[in-house]
Amino acid sequence: MELKRREFIQIAAMTAATGLAGSMADRARASGAPPLPDQPDIPGVNWEKAPCRFCGTGCHVQVGVKDDKVVAIAGDREADVNKGLLCVKGYHVGMILYGEDRLTKPMARREGQLVPIEWDEAIDIAARRIMESGSKFGFYISGQSTIPEGYAAQKLMKGGLSNNHIEANARLCMASAVTGFLSTYGVDEPASCYDDLDTCDTLILWGNNPAEMHPILFSRVMDRQARGDKVTLIDIGTRHTRTTERADHFLKMQGNGDLAIANCIAQQLIENDTYDHAFVEKHCNFRADRDPSKAFDSVIDHDTYVAHVKEAGASGLFGEAISFEQYKKLVSYYTPEKAEELSGVPADQLRMLADVFADKSKKIVSLWCMGMNQHTAGTAVNNLVHNVHLMSGHWGKPGDGPQSLTGQPAACGTVREVGTLAHALPGGRIVAKEAHRDHAEGFWNLPKGRVNPKPGYHTVKMFQMLSTPTDQGGDIDTVWVQVTNPGQTLPNTKKLFKAKAELKDKFLIVSEVYPTATTELADLVLPAAMWVEKNGIYGNSERRTQQWFKMVTPPGEARDDCWQTLAVARRLFELGHPGLKDKDGEYLFRINDEDGKEVPYWQWEHYYDVNVDKALFDDYRRFTFMKHKNVAPYDELVKHRGLRWPVVETEPGKFRETRWRFVEGDDPYVEKGAGIQFYHSTTKDHKAQLWFRPHQWPAEMPDDALPLNLVTGRVIEHWHSGTMTMRIPQLRRAMPGAYVEMNPDDARERGITNGDMVRVTTRRGELNLPAWINGRANPQRGHVFVPFFDESAQINDLTLGEIDPFSKQPDYKKCAAEVTRLDQPHPYSREVVQ
Amino acid sequence: MSRQARPTRRDVLFGRLGAAVRRVGPKQGDELKRAVIQGRHCLAYRELMCSTCYERCPEEGAIVMDRGIPSVVADRCTGCGDCQGVCPAPVNAVLMIRAQPVIQRSKP
Ligand code: SF4
Ligand code: SF4
Ligand code: SF4
Repeated sequence: MELKRREFIQIAAMTAATGLAGSMADRARASGAPPLPDQPDIPGVNWEKAPCRFCGTGCHVQVGVKDDKVVAIAGDREADVNKGLLCVKGYHVGMILYGEDRLTKPMARREGQLVPIEWDEAIDIAARRIMESGSKFGFYISGQSTIPEGYAAQKLMKGGLSNNHIEANARLCMASAVTGFLSTYGVDEPASCYDDLDTCDTLILWGNNPAEMHPILFSRVMDRQARGDKVTLIDIGTRHTRTTERADHFLKMQGNGDLAIANCIAQQLIENDTYDHAFVEKHCNFRADRDPSKAFDSVIDHDTYVAHVKEAGASGLFGEAISFEQYKKLVSYYTPEKAEELSGVPADQLRMLADVFADKSKKIVSLWCMGMNQHTAGTAVNNLVHNVHLMSGHWGKPGDGPQSLTGQPAACGTVREVGTLAHALPGGRIVAKEAHRDHAEGFWNLPKGRVNPKPGYHTVKMFQMLSTPTDQGGDIDTVWVQVTNPGQTLPNTKKLFKAKAELKDKFLIVSEVYPTATTELADLVLPAAMWVEKNGIYGNSERRTQQWFKMVTPPGEARDDCWQTLAVARRLFELGHPGLKDKDGEYLFRINDEDGKEVPYWQWEHYYDVNVDKALFDDYRRFTFMKHKNVAPYDELVKHRGLRWPVVETEPGKFRETRWRFVEGDDPYVEKGAGIQFYHSTTKDHKAQLWFRPHQWPAEMPDDALPLNLVTGRVIEHWHSGTMTMRIPQLRRAMPGAYVEMNPDDARERGITNGDMVRVTTRRGELNLPAWINGRANPQRGHVFVPFFDESAQINDLTLGEIDPFSKQPDYKKCAAEVTRLDQPHPYSREVVQ
Repeated sequence: MSRQARPTRRDVLFGRLGAAVRRVGPKQGDELKRAVIQGRHCLAYRELMCSTCYERCPEEGAIVMDRGIPSVVADRCTGCGDCQGVCPAPVNAVLMIRAQPVIQRSKP
C-alpha cells in the first residue's frame, strides 16, 4: 500500500489514493475484512472535503492538495450519500482542473478572431454591452453554478436590472419535476430522501438508468442485494440498459407509454378497490386540466393538448377541481388492455405493477429523472407518478415514497431554490405575485416596483430570440452564459444556437474553463475558475446543501464566475446604472468587513479579503423560510457533509436536518397529530392534488420516412457535453466517442452490422456515427440511442425543440429518425450480428 | 484468418470511436501475456457498474460477465492488452501476466 501511495504522488495521478476503499458493495472481500484507513496519509498532502463536481447524486470527496495542486482524490467516508465510495467519474474528478487547453486569458472577438485582452477591458465590454442592451439582455447560468453564483446573478438581473431574462440549463433537465411538485403538493422538491433506498422492498425505475447516471445510488441498492436483502427492481423504459440487467421485471414501453401505465395503475387500484381509502380521504383532492363537463379526451395529440393549455391561461397548471366520481370515470378508460395498446406493455405486466402498489405490506420507492422530465408531457407524467403513490398510500414512510432525481449537482440548490428561472424569485417565490415581489424588494432594500412582474423568456425562447435576426423580431441581442455549454446541449442547436453565427449585431459572452461549442460563437470569453479553485455551495436531489472552500489557485488569469458577475455589477454601478443602487442610494452588493467598512471585493486582489460566498449565502438564506426550505447557516454547512433542509434550530446553536418532509415527527412544520400534512397545498386544506392527465402522444411520431425514434442521453463515463470528462485520459479512453445504439433486428433490416458507419437523419439534420449493436445497452425495436457527450458528433443538431407546455422543458427522448448505412461500408465490417 | 490481418468488429467500432485507445499490447519479441482482473481494484466488483474491458476486448469470449462481474477466460485471451489500456479504474485493475506458468523459486 505504501508503495502505491508514493506512486500516485509521483505520477500525480489524481485518483483514489485509497484505491476502492468503499464500504458499500464489495463482493471481492469475504466478510471480516480489516477496516480500511479513514483517509490516506500521504506526507505533505492536505485533505479537505468537497462535493463531487459532476452529478446530482451529490457524493462527497476528500481532495488531497499539495503545493497548490490537487494531487489525489478519495471517497469521503463520513459522507452519508456515498460512504467513501465514488463512481468512475468521481475518482478522476481532480483531473478536470488540469486539461491542457484551460482558458487562462480573457478574449474578445476582433475581425472574426478571439484575441487576448485584459480583465479590466473585458469587464468594461461586458458591462457596457449589458447596459446598452437593456431588456434585450439574457443571463443563462446552470445547475452546476454554485448557490452564491446563482444568487448574485439573480439579484443583479431581477433586483438590479429589472430584467427577468435569467434562465439556467436546469430548464432542460428538471423543469417538469418542478411543475409536477408544484401542481401536486403546492411546493417544489422531493419530500423523501436517499435513505429510502436502504429500506425499500421494491424499487421502480421510471425511464431511469441509475446504473449509469446515478451509479452511487444504484450501488447502494446493489449492495443490499449482495448482502442478501430482497429488493425487487422494476424497470420501465424503452431501452434495455445496465439497470435492466439487474432488474427483476422489465416493462418495455413505447415513448410516452409512462402516461398510460400510471393511469392504468390508478384504474386498477380503483377497480379492484385496493386504493388507500383513508389516505385519499384525508390527504388528497382530485383535479383535472379542464372542467370535465366539457368534452374530454382520454388520448390526445401534442398540439391539441398545447391548445387546451393555452386556452386555460396562466392558471392552467393548477387545473380545476373534480370529484372522485369524475376522476374514477376519467381513468376508467385505461384498462390494462387499453394501456397495453397505448404503451406497448403487456396487460399482465400492468396488472402485476398495479398489484405491487396494492400491496400495503411492501415499501415502494419510485425513481425518475430525465426519462420523465425531458418529455413533452413531463408535468403530466410527474403528476401521475405522484398520483399512484398517493392513491395507494405508499407515501411518507421511510422507504416508501416517490423520489425525483436531478441530473446536476446544484439543479436543486441553485436553480430551484434560488429561483434562477425567468418567472421565479428566491425561496419559491414568483415574479407574477405582488406579495413576492414585495418580499424581494424588502430583503434587497429596493424601491417598490423595481422587480418586473412579467416573466422573462424561458431557455428555448431566449435562444430562439438570440438566433433570430433583430428585424424578424429576435429581441434578445446579448446573452451571458456561465457554467454550461448550450452550443452542444440545447435541442435543435442549429436553429436555436448556431444560427447566431450569421447575426453580426448579436453578442455572446461566455464564462468558460475550456474551449467548447459555445465559446466557438462567443464574442467575449471570460476564463473561469472551477470547482475547488473557488469557494462554492451546491444542493443535491435530496435537499442536501453542501459547502466547500477554495483549495488551489486557478490557472493563469482564470477567475471565479461569481467574481465576474459582481465585477460587471460594480462596473454597471460606476457607469451610473440606476438599478445598482438600493433605495437609500447604497450599492446593491455592498459587503462590509467586521468593522463595517466596505470591502472592494470587485477588485480581484481583494475578492478573498472577505468570504463573498458566505455574505451572499447568508443574504439569500432569509428568503428560504417562507416556503419552509430553511437552509442552514453557512457556518453550519462548513461543519457537515451537507445538511438536508428544512434545517431548524432546535436550541441555540443546534441545528437539525429533515429527512422526510410533510411527515410528523421528522418535519418540524407538521402540526402535532396531523400525521402527514401538505402544508403548502394549492387548495389551502393541507391536501395534495391527485391529477387526471390524459394519455398524450409524443410531439413527433415515427412515420414511413422516419420510422425510428431517437433517444439521447448520457453514459457513465461522461458528464454532459464532455467538456470536463473528455479531458480526463482514463475516461476518454474508456468511452472515446459517440455511437448509435441499435436494436439488432432494426440493424439487420437495414443491412447494418456492428461498426458500420451509418447516417442518422431527422427533420433537423443528419449525423454520421458508427453503429453499436448488442453493446452496453439495447434499445427495443424501433428505437435508437445516441449519447450527447461527444463534441465531434453533436446529436443535438438533430433533436426536437418541442417543449412541455407547462414546464417549457424540451423532449430529448423522442423524435422521428432514420438510420441508413453509408455507401462505403468499412471493408472489415462484414460480420453477421449475433 | 488470423486476427492480426482482420480486425474484429470491436476493433472496427472502437477504431472509429476516436482511436483513443492507448495500446499497451505486446510488442514484437515480448513474451506472450494474459490478462487477469484484480478484483480489489475493479470497479465492477464494488457494484460501480463498469464493463469497459468486456465491451472493448477484441476477442469474442475472452472476457465474460457474470452478474456484472468480468473475468478473463485465459484460453481465449491473446494478451493484446486492450483491456488494460481502457480500464478506467483509479488503480488499473488489469494485470498482464506471463502466459506460461513460471515456477517460482523460493527465495534464499
Ligand atoms: S455518482 Fe455522481 S456525485 Fe457521485 S461520484 Fe459519481 S459523478 Fe460524482
Ligand atoms: S488482453 Fe486483449 S484479448 Fe485478453 S482479455 Fe484483454 S482485451 Fe481481451
Ligand atoms: S474495465 Fe477495469 S474496472 Fe472496469 S470492469 Fe474491467 S477491470 Fe473492472
